[in-house]
Amino acid sequence: MLTGNYRLAAAIFIGIFCGFLLVKSDLSWRKTCLNMFLLKDGRLLKTLLFSLGFGVALVYFLQQAEVIAIHVRPGYFWASLIGGVVSGTGLAFCFRVPITAIAALGAGRLYALWSVIGMILAVSFVDIISGKLSSSIYSWSKSLDEPQQADSFLDLSNPVLWIVVLSLISLAFLQFTFRGETEE
Amino acid sequence: MGILTGKWSFYLNGALLSGMIVLCLYLFQDTVGMNDGMIKISEYVEQTAEQVSDDEEIALPPLEWQTGFLGGIFIGALAASLMSGNWKIRFFQDKESGIISKSLKTALYGLGGGFLVMLGLQLSGDSFLGQWSGALQLSGGSWIFLVSCFAVASGIAILLENRGESGGE
Repeated sequence: MLTGNYRLAAAIFIGIFCGFLLVKSDLSWRKTCLNMFLLKDGRLLKTLLFSLGFGVALVYFLQQAEVIAIHVRPGYFWASLIGGVVSGTGLAFCFRVPITAIAALGAGRLYALWSVIGMILAVSFVDIISGKLSSSIYSWSKSLDEPQQADSFLDLSNPVLWIVVLSLISLAFLQFTFRGETEE
Repeated sequence: MGILTGKWSFYLNGALLSGMIVLCLYLFQDTVGMNDGMIKISEYVEQTAEQVSDDEEIALPPLEWQTGFLGGIFIGALAASLMSGNWKIRFFQDKESGIISKSLKTALYGLGGGFLVMLGLQLSGDSFLGQWSGALQLSGGSWIFLVSCFAVASGIAILLENRGESGGE
């Protein structure tokens, strides 16, 4: 694991790569995200589905080879569900998550600054109400179980296999149903 | 040069996105996300506001790996959009006429949407990249978050589009 200045330097380089990737994949543009949610543009959906299918298999094999270890923060059912609904509602209005808002700013879309300001305000807001949160939605359900990996990839009880297969089927479906691409 | 100026195919984008997350897991034993970076920036904003009211000297925001990642995204997006000819200064999200209405709509949708997106992420306990990383590692919480987030976002976007309020660019 990297520490100190090496960690900082690696984070900056990965950030630069991430910004480059967000622009090249069209994830930073408002209109392409809008058309993805309206189910009019399959390009982003295909990118995300491929990332999911490929990534799940990659993580599985690297974990089996003991190259990487699992690092997930503890999840709570109600916190994840309510968080997803609230984030989804916000996403339907601004079409940006934090990293795409910064990328859009870098690409000259100054109106993304409003989203960044809103996000900074939300952090302060959560800081104020954090005491109430820990006694409410975090206490409604127990922490979800740690993810478990099957020993064999081709085992039918292995969720990785199902995710990869379903991703490939969905990709094939999208490839033949969505032809149009949004131009920024 | 085509790889620097043109669009990348979906399978290259998807593979690189996953590869980047896995690389972060390997290098940092964590996912770099905007969550921690935003918390640092928010703390800095709060401290600066207190310093201004107390007439103290204003310190620069801390350059840590989370804020370094944030700066890196800005530089990378700037470079990519300049290379591909997509860099454009835009103040409004819509092209509709009426400067007051589009200013209000841009501010309201941006501020409100950004606030809700970050509020949801804070409630779920991770950044969006962190949730994506969790989903790749089969975390139940991340799957619940992502499915509910995409379903609600798509549902509301379709509803707003039918009412003619989603706007375009």
